[in-house]
Amino acid sequence: MASNAFHVSLLAGAGTQMAALHRHPALRALLKALLTVLAATTITFALVRLLPGNPIDLRIDELTRDGTMTYEDARAQVSGLYAIELDAPLPDQYVSYLWNVARGDLGNSFLSQATPVTSIILAVLPWTLFAVGTGLFLSFAAGIGLGIIAAYRRGSFFDQAVSTVGSIISSVPNYLIAILMVLVLGIQLRIVPITQMRGATSPGIQPGFTPDFVGDVFFHASLPITVFFLTHIGHWILSMRNATLAALEEDYVVAARARGLRDSRIMTAYVGRNAALPLVTQLAISVGFIVGGAVLIEQVFAYQGVGQRLLRAVAQRDYPVMQGILLLTTISVVVANLAADLLYSKLDPRVGHATL
Amino acid sequence: MSLVRQVRTLALPQPLVEIAGLVAVIARRPVGLIGLVGVGAFVVTSYIGPLVVPLTNSVDIANVYRTPSLAHPLGTDFQGRDVLNQIVYGGRDILSVAFLAAFFSTAVAVTFGSLAASSGGKVDTIVVVLADIVLTVPHLIVLIVVAAIFRPEGFLVLALLLASLQWAGLLRQVRAQILSLKEREYVEAARSLDLGLFHVIFREMLPNMASYVSIHFIFAMTGAVYAQVGLIVLGLVPLSGANWGIMLYFAQSQGALYFRDSFWYILSPILAISLFQLSLVALSAGLEDVFNPRLRAG
Amino acid sequence: MSLVSVRDLAIEYASRRGPVQAVRGLSFDVQPGETVAIIGESGSGKTTLAVGLIHLLPRNAAVTRGEILFTEDNGIRDVIQMDSETLRRFRWHRAAMVFQSALNSFNPVIDVWAQFLDTARAHGMDDARAVKRRAGELLDLVQLDPDRVLRAYPHQLSGGMKQRVLIALSLLLGPRLLILDEPTTALDILTQRQVIDLLRDLRRQLGFAMIFISHDLSLAAELADRVLTMYAGRIVEEARVADLFYRPRHPYSVGLLRAVPRVSGELGALASIPGSPPDLVSPPSGCAYHPRCPFAIDRCRVEDPSLGPVDSPGHAAACLRWQTVADAVGTREPAEAL
Repeated sequence: MASNAFHVSLLAGAGTQMAALHRHPALRALLKALLTVLAATTITFALVRLLPGNPIDLRIDELTRDGTMTYEDARAQVSGLYAIELDAPLPDQYVSYLWNVARGDLGNSFLSQATPVTSIILAVLPWTLFAVGTGLFLSFAAGIGLGIIAAYRRGSFFDQAVSTVGSIISSVPNYLIAILMVLVLGIQLRIVPITQMRGATSPGIQPGFTPDFVGDVFFHASLPITVFFLTHIGHWILSMRNATLAALEEDYVVAARARGLRDSRIMTAYVGRNAALPLVTQLAISVGFIVGGAVLIEQVFAYQGVGQRLLRAVAQRDYPVMQGILLLTTISVVVANLAADLLYSKLDPRVGHATL
Repeated sequence: MSLVRQVRTLALPQPLVEIAGLVAVIARRPVGLIGLVGVGAFVVTSYIGPLVVPLTNSVDIANVYRTPSLAHPLGTDFQGRDVLNQIVYGGRDILSVAFLAAFFSTAVAVTFGSLAASSGGKVDTIVVVLADIVLTVPHLIVLIVVAAIFRPEGFLVLALLLASLQWAGLLRQVRAQILSLKEREYVEAARSLDLGLFHVIFREMLPNMASYVSIHFIFAMTGAVYAQVGLIVLGLVPLSGANWGIMLYFAQSQGALYFRDSFWYILSPILAISLFQLSLVALSAGLEDVFNPRLRAG
Repeated sequence: MSLVSVRDLAIEYASRRGPVQAVRGLSFDVQPGETVAIIGESGSGKTTLAVGLIHLLPRNAAVTRGEILFTEDNGIRDVIQMDSETLRRFRWHRAAMVFQSALNSFNPVIDVWAQFLDTARAHGMDDARAVKRRAGELLDLVQLDPDRVLRAYPHQLSGGMKQRVLIALSLLLGPRLLILDEPTTALDILTQRQVIDLLRDLRRQLGFAMIFISHDLSLAAELADRVLTMYAGRIVEEARVADLFYRPRHPYSVGLLRAVPRVSGELGALASIPGSPPDLVSPPSGCAYHPRCPFAIDRCRVEDPSLGPVDSPGHAAACLRWQTVADAVGTREPAEAL
């Protein structure tokens, strides 16, 4: 196949560029990212195609079982759904699958065969990103604040209370907190209108940037956001507390006090900034794991994000969608890690500068 | 005389004395004590409890969703069965799988981490790249997809599945430690036998690594509990027997979440799982004392 | 009228084994424009003293008695008694303290200019342009290029440059007193020379008083007017610099001088002081130096001598046997230095 030769020559040329790459950390990071995406794509391909009992063969069996479709037709249909050419030898299938993925073609859904997987995922992804992102950023902001205060008031009741509560909440599985919220707040105490809060939006509401719609979105997302907030805040509190305690020991903090700087200034620009620096990259990395963490929570609150869509696809044996979501979530983690690396080199002046 | 010293003066076989001494050190701080007591209580209840108390499997429609009483301290479930009874039985599967998964992932991480660090070259690169990939993919999603496609059956398979993603973090730590020490010991090690390098490193390193390996083991267990209960609640693991996760699954599928009376039926497994996780975390905090030489003295 | 008058200062800090008496009743004066060197080995309590002078002690340390009287235009104030806001404004304005690790005296994530501005703003100088001008003048004074340095981040500067920037910064508010803790220890020998010359120049131009605390006797010889030797949290000898070097009267000072290798002349035997620094949780009875002192007698184990005058003006030593020491050491002329 012509495309085959092209791919091979591409790879051969790449080899000679390798030496240059070792000298550029940014390029190395990018390459690693691409490699990981490649690996994820390969794993997905293997799961779907190579291992025994894989969905493609199963689907072909299903379609041909009742005799309404010939084997060839079934194969054609399935290969279209999966963006995999079943006729070609395996390596070619693999390469053309990669090629399809690179072009953004993840195949079509089993169930609604005209709908590409990409559009299905893109329809639900923003909801998840919104809920988890908001929860994560809020927990980061609050956690950093509480953590630095706890460190400054080391040993006090506030410190011990905040640290203990923080570590307790972060030890309990997040979906259990979600269930507990529904259970206690919704059912037992009836302070929260649980049934009305199911789903991402109320039925019948018009999308758009109207206060009504935005308000509705926040109303429905408030419980998932609260759960994400609670499950992550413990980590930020403890990390910031430890980082602050370490920063307070640093000579430049004593030197700053010797210069007569106000405690408030020292706390923000000297201690705070140095302590929070590594945490910011952790935040960027957490963003990458957004989608993974959301699955069970979305189910509890019937929140229509990527997590819930995945579960629906599982229930319906809609393998292309499952495969697509796995791939996309991996890519999001890779992108987030990359962003974290770049962010850190921007924020920390010690990285990547030559000495005068 | 301090508790630790007292323990050491007892005329017991050496390994027992070591363990007893360890326990005494951990128990010194409140958090360590809580961890020990908690984990101990769950282990005893989950493994020995079922031997003592028979599983009540009888369906009793008249007693559906009873609130706690003397006869049923935690109430009854949707089929009238005693909840406390199920809680006692419910830990065994969860704990076993968690322990196995943690064991596998730790073993793989230590073995291949040392191997990678001491071999260097191509082997090392392959292992590191593999570890990085595993660290990047979102674990729960992979587990869900794999479980959906391959339907894991039985303890062992489930434990292996969970372990297959957990090993990467510890492996990188082990490898880093050995590499840093390898640089230093290289000259001496080079003089010893061919076999020497790997064995020397293994024997020298292990005590140093004990601290984060054991803490990793505990956190691997918490991660395994989280993942397996998650998979069970989603119905992706074939359901047999009674365990905390299955109780939650039924609670969800029976819609028990939305009844007022089923409160204790759902709350009990949640409490059981949460308290077990908390005990594990407390134990790991207590373990830090063991590995901090200054705090260990006498 | 002394610029600084330290009276019976005692500082303790908490440790597992009990309170460590780092400073055990110290008294000395510094005149305006004078340079005083405080010399001692590690563990003598000198760094605690240094931070104690601006009452910048860590959490687990406290001043247990004494006063630090500072003379300003409008009267005399006790630094120890100052409340936190007064103390904050006092620091750097009246007395600027330059730490040993200029390497780590700067916030690594903001640039040098921002740190100048922070310091200025903390003391009420809000006009950024005026501050920029002043910073430029000071950096010129320490022979650095303001444009390059102000824009740089601390990690981009070499150790010597950072030390000079810190010295420039210390002069920002025109303090009367500069306190330097081990100013040359972390630097290579060429940079040390530059810093010493720089300090001498600046002192001549600006007339501030200096207290520097070090283990380096040669530094004292270069810069100091008077030298105080410190042992086990006390001053054991104080003298004009020539007197200390050529006519030491306390066995510890003698030991310190003998321990310094000589560049010129014969290669004598290098004598270090036997034993190790005293345990400041429970110091030795009587004279704290007696366990290591070649001149010690039974009386030294019992009596704890205080600083008493010896045979030169302005020279005092805390030794019962200073006469014997004087005889052993003799009174040499500069050409026959110890």
